[in-house]
Amino acid sequence: MGAVIELENITKVFRVLNRHAGLRGTFTDLFSRDYKNLVAVDHVSMSIEEGEMVGYLGPNGAGKSTTIKIMTGILEPTEGKLLVNGRVPYANRTLNAQNIGVVFGQRSQLWWSLPVIESFRILKEMYCIPDKVYKNNMEMFDELVGVSELYNKPVRQMSLGQRTLCDILASFLHDPSVVFLDEPTIGLDVSMKSKIRELISVLNREKKTTVVLTTHDMGDVEALCRRIMIIDHGKLIYDNNIQQLKQFFGSYRTLKILSAGNVSFSEADLAKYGRQLLALCPETRNVVFGSDEEWLTVLVPEDEISLIKVLDHMQTLIPFKDVRIEEITTESVIRKIYEGNCDAKPTLEA
Amino acid sequence: MISEQREKKEKLRRGAFYYPRIYLMIITQDIKSKMHYRADFYISTIGMLATNIAGFISFWLIFQSFPSINGWTYYEMLFLYAFSLLALTPVQLFFDNNWALRFNVYSGDFVKYCFRPLNLFFYYISETIDIKGAGQLVFGAGTLVYAWHHLGLEVSVQSMVLLIVALTSASLVMIAMMNAAAATCFWVINSGTVMIFLFRFKDYAKYPMTIYNIGFQIVFSILIPIGFIAYYPSLIYLRAQDVSILTYLSPIIAVLFYYGSYKFWMRGAMKYSGTGS
Amino acid sequence: MENRTKKLPFRRYFSITRAGILEMAMFRSSRVIDFVGNMVYMIVVYFLWRAIYASTHTVSVNGMTFIQTLIYLTLAGAIFSTLNNYLVWKMGHDIQSGQISLFFTKPMDFYLREFFYSLGNVATQLVLTFIPTFLVVSILSGWALPMGVNLLIFLPAIFMSLVISFSIDFIVGTICLYSQSIWGINMMKEVIILLLSGATIPLAFFPEAFRNVLMFLPFQAIYNVPLMVLVSNTYTWIDYARALGVQAFWMVILVAGARLFFRSSSRVITVNGG
Repeated sequence: MGAVIELENITKVFRVLNRHAGLRGTFTDLFSRDYKNLVAVDHVSMSIEEGEMVGYLGPNGAGKSTTIKIMTGILEPTEGKLLVNGRVPYANRTLNAQNIGVVFGQRSQLWWSLPVIESFRILKEMYCIPDKVYKNNMEMFDELVGVSELYNKPVRQMSLGQRTLCDILASFLHDPSVVFLDEPTIGLDVSMKSKIRELISVLNREKKTTVVLTTHDMGDVEALCRRIMIIDHGKLIYDNNIQQLKQFFGSYRTLKILSAGNVSFSEADLAKYGRQLLALCPETRNVVFGSDEEWLTVLVPEDEISLIKVLDHMQTLIPFKDVRIEEITTESVIRKIYEGNCDAKPTLEA
Repeated sequence: MISEQREKKEKLRRGAFYYPRIYLMIITQDIKSKMHYRADFYISTIGMLATNIAGFISFWLIFQSFPSINGWTYYEMLFLYAFSLLALTPVQLFFDNNWALRFNVYSGDFVKYCFRPLNLFFYYISETIDIKGAGQLVFGAGTLVYAWHHLGLEVSVQSMVLLIVALTSASLVMIAMMNAAAATCFWVINSGTVMIFLFRFKDYAKYPMTIYNIGFQIVFSILIPIGFIAYYPSLIYLRAQDVSILTYLSPIIAVLFYYGSYKFWMRGAMKYSGTGS
Repeated sequence: MENRTKKLPFRRYFSITRAGILEMAMFRSSRVIDFVGNMVYMIVVYFLWRAIYASTHTVSVNGMTFIQTLIYLTLAGAIFSTLNNYLVWKMGHDIQSGQISLFFTKPMDFYLREFFYSLGNVATQLVLTFIPTFLVVSILSGWALPMGVNLLIFLPAIFMSLVISFSIDFIVGTICLYSQSIWGINMMKEVIILLLSGATIPLAFFPEAFRNVLMFLPFQAIYNVPLMVLVSNTYTWIDYARALGVQAFWMVILVAGARLFFRSSSRVITVNGG
């Protein structure tokens, strides 16, 4: 089967007015013709097969949403070729829309004040979903997440988690071949996040729907994606499977400590802690100390030493006022990729 | 893949009733959910009636001090006024979502309309129906009957059918104007000013075009075609011997204006989302 | 809270005014459109009233000639677009979204804050829209408009018009605490003000009994009073004083009314929690 999504050297350049600050600046801007070019997406190429679940990461402003907009057919690239389901998305918007599903984490696409079942019914008409398909899907959705309890609730009255759930279901309702999920778990609590991840995983598996998942949440990535793409400053800097990525950052978690004593940590302090910890426990040689405002951060490679053990040791070195444990952020991952633990340069091919 | 096979079927299966069916579904639901807000309905209707009555009072005041406007009598002016109100009701009722357009565009919410497999304009406009327009419908119909009676116009099947055609084409003109005004939000940030600016013009549709010099008659027939909202269609009733060629052309012109405004709106929507074609 | 506001340096409020100015100045196309709008309004008013006056053989009707009516209505339209603000909508939306409760956590008087912002808006529109319109009207009427002391007196007059109009808007906005219908309420307000202030039909054309009643309402203080100050050739110092006096009177009443109404209504928020 050919690739479902195929991008070749996609580039998008925006012309932006140079705005100036202040009262005088605003008035001179009234007569200004000074524009600059902003390269949002820079020669990005990729090829996604049917049934893949791809994670698309990158810091804010990196070009993620621009690429997604191009793939979903609502933005036309300045240069480059792309095909989704064998057709050019922006040239055949409605045809393309028939065959894709889209979810934005925060903005619901369902009708706000209608009971959600009415939204589903309208979608059935809109996408010309055959009765049988509709029935089967609704039953499947109910089995998976018990959506029938929500049928009569207007979307307006739903919690963020319920709303997201319904949006995701709605995006799969018409059996599209590709679904784009943009930050689906943002703002949700832990139990809701895992429920949604489970749902996405099952739908991807059962329906063989290709899923492109944009996210900032490494938990999403770990739970769902086999393949990861990272975009930064418009360029695709990583396109490989998650195992490769793990080689870069392993299973790191960050231990954050708020000291009852110090409120800032110098380089010398960090080095001192490094030495002291190493003396207590030789396995901590790859632990990295840093600081984040008043917090002392300890990046722990959990495949070498358990974070709890590090926590235990640190208690003897520092008086604790507060402790936090965090996932490694995508920013840290990207930074690590740039620093390159294994290969010197970031890779582009799978 | 299921989808590829269905693709071909879809294009055929979407018959003539696709859009009407969806529209009916959506507005039925919209009205249902709005009926929960009774108080809002009443207050809005009163607000609507207040504007209509104010128009009526303006005429009344003018005719207290002056005998006619360019040879047009009180009841003739009322006829024009009522006709314009009726012609302005469809845009109020069905195209109300245009007012929300600039907010949706500004906030970025507008993109969500671009992901569905149906005509963007249709989808956007169908979201809202403004039930307070019903108040204007009643007031306009009442005033028209009043003026009709006082002018001694004939009541027949023919004149009724003609009236419906005339009102339909007149309403398309205002719809076209508001479409175009709303669509400016794709290019200009504070397009609310444009919409309010053009919306003010509906108040001038109730005056006969003969008051203007030839230059402005052209402006108000072509550039901001308020002449077609009441004046030209009404000539059949009020100045049967003096019917302008534009009166006969009004349905065609109305449809063309509407189509033009639709294209303009779509062009803006495409540009906004970045597809220049 | 009242005492605190007197002690607060007005510099803080003027930075809000600056923000209001910026908001208006930023949208260059809107300012142009506003001006064009006034011009087109003037044209339509010209033709309409020319036709109206043509039907009678007297030059002056109810004390107003055609030119006077024309000038009056055009400038009324210009004042309308100058004073125009979206306060009712802003307040309505803030109330509906619950955002209004945020204002209570800030150490700034809500009324003053919104007023100074509007002041910025209006000042900018005055310069960019009203003055050009006034100049065009002057030129086209063959410099029939007086250019002297009346211009000076016009400034405090239009300022007080703003305060009155703003206070009415503020009251209407507060009503939104009690109802979901922002549009309906705002529409009624606008219709009433425009009609009863003489902005759409000069007060001279109202039947005498009506007119006498209307002179006792605040609406004509927004439009009729500053307009007469601006265009009248016959105003004496006494007339100016009286005009400003009427405005000052309404200003005091409406500012107090708006603030009191808001204060008692805001209990609704604190009790119901937005």
